[in-house]
Amino acid sequence: MNEAAPHIFVALEGSGLGAAIRQSRYAYMAANVGHVLSLAVFAGAVGIMDTRMAGALRATAPGQVLRLARRFAILGFAGLVLSGAVLFTAEASHVILNPVFQIKLGLIALGLLNVAAFEIFLAPKVRKLKPLTPLPQDVRASGIASLIVWLCVAACGRLIAYF
Amino acid sequence: MKAFVLCLAATTGLSAAALAHHGWGSYDAANPVTVTGPIVTSKFENPHATVTVKSADKVWTVTLAPTSRMLSRGATAEMVAQGKTISAYGYPSTVEKDEMRAERITADGKTIEMR
Repeated sequence: MNEAAPHIFVALEGSGLGAAIRQSRYAYMAANVGHVLSLAVFAGAVGIMDTRMAGALRATAPGQVLRLARRFAILGFAGLVLSGAVLFTAEASHVILNPVFQIKLGLIALGLLNVAAFEIFLAPKVRKLKPLTPLPQDVRASGIASLIVWLCVAACGRLIAYF
Repeated sequence: MKAFVLCLAATTGLSAAALAHHGWGSYDAANPVTVTGPIVTSKFENPHATVTVKSADKVWTVTLAPTSRMLSRGATAEMVAQGKTISAYGYPSTVEKDEMRAERITADGKTIEMR
């Protein structure tokens, strides 16, 4: 327990739920496995979406790629949040003060802002485009930005244990 | 875009200013220690079990392994319970005072690898 952390995180780690996760033989392990499997689903979907928006896979209809991949991205993200919450709860007071975790949270916020901006302003431009149509510059930029941000998030996630 | 590249650089460059908790990088493998004595406190918990051990000169915090790994290798919670005597061979932390990460422990006459 790190008493220097804000009270809410000390309380979360000290809660019955926190203790249950730490003391279970399987909970922490299952959350770890769940986190990496969710990441695989999320990264696969985001990789397809973002590379398409960046201009790759030109022979596909971008709107259709978006529609199909988005479901898996949402599914993967939900799994990441859920399993991540379990991992976080077990060590909340330590992890919240971890500089890499703080950077990771900031990058996730940035990634979600990019998703919101894309869905509001850019996705409508792409929806009806035919295969082999050049994509608008802002759509391509958003796709590249998204790829970079989410890869940085993944790197931070793995790095938490080393700081 | 530049901002994102900067973020990546900042992340990878942070090692110099590490506020390490339990990163495996921050242990001094060149100077292994063996800590032997009675267990003062014991937490058989994830992500790693931890015991504090009263050696001749001080109380060490000894970081063990994930509980499922310990159990699968035969190191039960009872073997590392408060009051039991343990001998832990491992590497002292370069960050946290009097903390070491055990490579292997001997308890109840059994020697068990932690890595």
